[in-house]
Amino acid sequence: MLAYLVRRLILAILTTWAVSVLSFVVIQLPPGDYITSYIAQMSSSGSFVSEQEANALRQQYGLDQPQYIQYIRWMKMVLQGNFGMALEYGRPVAEVIGDRIYLTMVVSVAAIIFTWCAALPIGVYSAVRQYSWGDYVATFIGFIGLAVPSFMLALILMYFGFTLFNANIGGLFSDEFAEAPWTLAKLWDLTKHLPLPALILGLAGTAQLIRIMRANLLDELGKPYVVTARARGLSEGRLIIKYPVRVALNPFASTIGYLLPYVVSGSIIVSLVLSLPTVGPLLLKSLVAQDMFLAGTIVLLLGVMTVIGTFISDLLLMWIDPRIRFEGRQ
Amino acid sequence: MSRKGRRITRREFLQDAVLATGGIALAGLTPALATAAEKTDPKIGAQLIGKLEGPTLILDPARFPKKFSEAPMLAELVKAGKLPPVEKRIPEEPLVVKPVHSIGKYGGTWRRGFTGPGDGENGNRIVSTDKILFWDYTGTKVMPCLARDWKVSDDGRVIAILLRKGHQWSDGTPFTADDFIFWYEDIYLNKDLQPTPNPDFMVNGKPGALRKRDDYTVVFEFPDPNYLFVDILAGSTAMGGGQATQQHFGRTMGAYMPAHYVKQYLPKYSSRDELDRKAKAAGFDGWVSYIKSRWDWRLNPDLPTLGPWKTVSPINTPTWGLERNPYYYGIDSEGNQLPYIDKISMALAENLEVLNLRAIAGQYDLQERHTALAKLPVFLENRSKGNYDVRLDPALNGSDATLQCNQAYDADPEVAKWLLSRDFRRALSLGIDREQINETFWLGVGTPGSVAPAESIPYSPGPEWRKKWSSHNPKQANELLDNAGLIKKDAEGYRLRTDGKGRLRIEMLTAAGSFIPHTQIGEMIKEQWKKIGIQGDVKEVERSLYFTRIKANEHQIAIWLNDGSEVIYLFPRHALPVDPVEALLGHPIANWYASGGTQGKEPKDPQLKKALELFRSAAGKKPQERYKIAQEIWKIMVDEQYSIGTVGQSPAAMGVRIVSKKLGNIPSRQVNAQHARTPCSSHPATFFFKS
Repeated sequence: MLAYLVRRLILAILTTWAVSVLSFVVIQLPPGDYITSYIAQMSSSGSFVSEQEANALRQQYGLDQPQYIQYIRWMKMVLQGNFGMALEYGRPVAEVIGDRIYLTMVVSVAAIIFTWCAALPIGVYSAVRQYSWGDYVATFIGFIGLAVPSFMLALILMYFGFTLFNANIGGLFSDEFAEAPWTLAKLWDLTKHLPLPALILGLAGTAQLIRIMRANLLDELGKPYVVTARARGLSEGRLIIKYPVRVALNPFASTIGYLLPYVVSGSIIVSLVLSLPTVGPLLLKSLVAQDMFLAGTIVLLLGVMTVIGTFISDLLLMWIDPRIRFEGRQ
Repeated sequence: MSRKGRRITRREFLQDAVLATGGIALAGLTPALATAAEKTDPKIGAQLIGKLEGPTLILDPARFPKKFSEAPMLAELVKAGKLPPVEKRIPEEPLVVKPVHSIGKYGGTWRRGFTGPGDGENGNRIVSTDKILFWDYTGTKVMPCLARDWKVSDDGRVIAILLRKGHQWSDGTPFTADDFIFWYEDIYLNKDLQPTPNPDFMVNGKPGALRKRDDYTVVFEFPDPNYLFVDILAGSTAMGGGQATQQHFGRTMGAYMPAHYVKQYLPKYSSRDELDRKAKAAGFDGWVSYIKSRWDWRLNPDLPTLGPWKTVSPINTPTWGLERNPYYYGIDSEGNQLPYIDKISMALAENLEVLNLRAIAGQYDLQERHTALAKLPVFLENRSKGNYDVRLDPALNGSDATLQCNQAYDADPEVAKWLLSRDFRRALSLGIDREQINETFWLGVGTPGSVAPAESIPYSPGPEWRKKWSSHNPKQANELLDNAGLIKKDAEGYRLRTDGKGRLRIEMLTAAGSFIPHTQIGEMIKEQWKKIGIQGDVKEVERSLYFTRIKANEHQIAIWLNDGSEVIYLFPRHALPVDPVEALLGHPIANWYASGGTQGKEPKDPQLKKALELFRSAAGKKPQERYKIAQEIWKIMVDEQYSIGTVGQSPAAMGVRIVSKKLGNIPSRQVNAQHARTPCSSHPATFFFKS
């Protein structure tokens, strides 16, 4: 058991290191560097950079050094807990991400809660009342939710929100609250803005979860222990919730690994379309700008979150499923 | 759209998906509205272009106002004893601006949109009256700005700048010649901060110098005549661009700096260890990065500035907030200290679609940046609902989609041979139907023609050069190509290479996500070239890759705007291959030119060489002669068609202005040009809220 844990832990650390190398290399793969993209950006926004300025900037950021030296420099800083400067922002990377990460978590958690609250009961209902009128409706809506890309939904809802309700366009706060310190009024403002992104982000996941829940539960419902329990006179509600639903929930434990990175990054595309001040758009922009410190740190963060998440699901599964525990003991 | 040679990453794909869907979302709404508008007037944009107008400067001290007043928010501070009275805060000879329509009212917050810390120009251009010299509202005449006057010696070697007595930084410290000398000695000549000298401060490759004559006079001295230097100081250049623009994002120029503030971050006036320690504590790797962030007006609210507004909430936050500078040196013609508007609040939009949608919703009071011409019908449709007007400001440059034929291309000798052929280039140009392109992509509001600038510019060679070799004439084009030796055609009617290697294909390189839809324009040209039997291939790449390819001399034809080329001496890079940063006509040639012939490749074409020589000779000439030389250069460029112009003088870049009906002193048309720092030539400090 302990050996199993230690092995998983060492693997996790190695994976994290590999992620750090990969994230750095991948970000550097496109031709040019941050200064090239800066020149391009200036040129297309009616301004310019001179050759002398560009060279001075390259020198200042160490972009004239070979890649492996840049990587070692970055790693040295990271190990000291310093993630470098976000080049475009002129602020430490940790601050730039820190500004956004709480809001990202709020949005993501809201989306997850919405997903679970909507999907699990509907999934259970669809399975228990298979081929009923309600099941068909849930299935229909579920498939639509799966098929419509969420950014499309975001654009459509945003447009109708504007034309029909004159709602604020995008963002998580009204203008007057964006910069204000945290107050009850600001919290209320956030609460008012939250449902739309949570709904859009959650909808695709909801559809998927309904289908998974339904299929898993259907597998279980026909099993002998359910028949036995029913024969023993257990009430139908108690029987379903207490036995087959619990077993059917098993696969969710193994997907927690993917939930963690999602919680810190949110959905990139939907956040971008809705102009949410979350980590997702930040990642996209830093990649376009080839800001390797910012992009590298976010990718690294996502990697680490995935590794931790997988580790947690391993533990959970071990706790839930004796078969895995035994395998660990061998 | 092709990314041959490398795999498309998932992120790129997603990114494309976002851009594409964003575009579709609004474009999808457009057609119905567009047809409705077209019924009333085929050129929906034409009536939105007003008369060029703008505020003027009063230069005669006898007509200066004698009594001054100030904004209520400042009057309160004066009352509380926190600020000296207004007459003590403005210079003895202030900048006196006569507003374009009327004297304004104080107060209000101007709401805008910006796209993130890369969008510094959004605010820079509003506070650009921190330049030493500037232009009038037509963008053609040099005007005083920080300098109340300037004097050029007869031999053109000494340019004296006269400052305003009593002029103060935004913290109340006097702004004097010492701020220039500090910049020159401690920043510009400091190798850690400025590793190589800047060509703006040189003439014929020889460095200039800066001296203090008295507290309110500085002189720029050059070893050779440099009459052009006045224009350099007035233009949007490294030397004359002003503190906000030229000292943002790690830049070092601008020719002056708040010495009393910046000194504390220089090792010379402090200790290096101490500074490095402070820098590390703030998260920077050393004092150089630290000081550069301290003198960046967008990032540091404590930095003393000279513009009408200063930063209170930095650009790297969700709202870039500006507030009035209580020591601004400008007043209106009745003695009211400018600016009228108290605050500017720029809200972050994570993508352009959201920004445009917010503009449509009337959430901006004045926005000319990032608003797209293609969305004009939607803007017009929502005018009354959003309580705004739409104004179009055509630019002065010749062509917003210019086909730049690489004159140093060598990867494929056959293609290189044709790109070097004048008749071939002329034929390509005659094969383009510019009217169709104008109607499709510019909604008919652009001006078809060559690369030559608008006739209102003194550098213009004349109206006939807008048309020369730049009309649609497939018959003449075919004759030119036949006579040039491209006679053989394949079954589909495309001309064959003369080396027997199949069809002659000419590649047009475009950048993804550019302001002007260059890729789609390229596709249309490709269709039009079918009539002259030329196979064009449009190759779209990501923006950074586009510039990397050009720098590596890999492109055959690159499509880009020629914006800024209207003031050819200040910003030549889109007109001539002289600047290695962007040399669309051939990077090796620009290297050759910039290095004085020691590096790169000499141009093979004698006419191109002549154009470059003419260009080099101009700095030492007086304005009238310079105009003539520029006209000569443009004549060569148009006659030779190295750069093929399509449609220009259009409002497509920064010329679609969404203006709230509440705002006053908004010119019905303003000059739209980089050197005029649009909208700064309209003096945003005179804009005001009518109610």
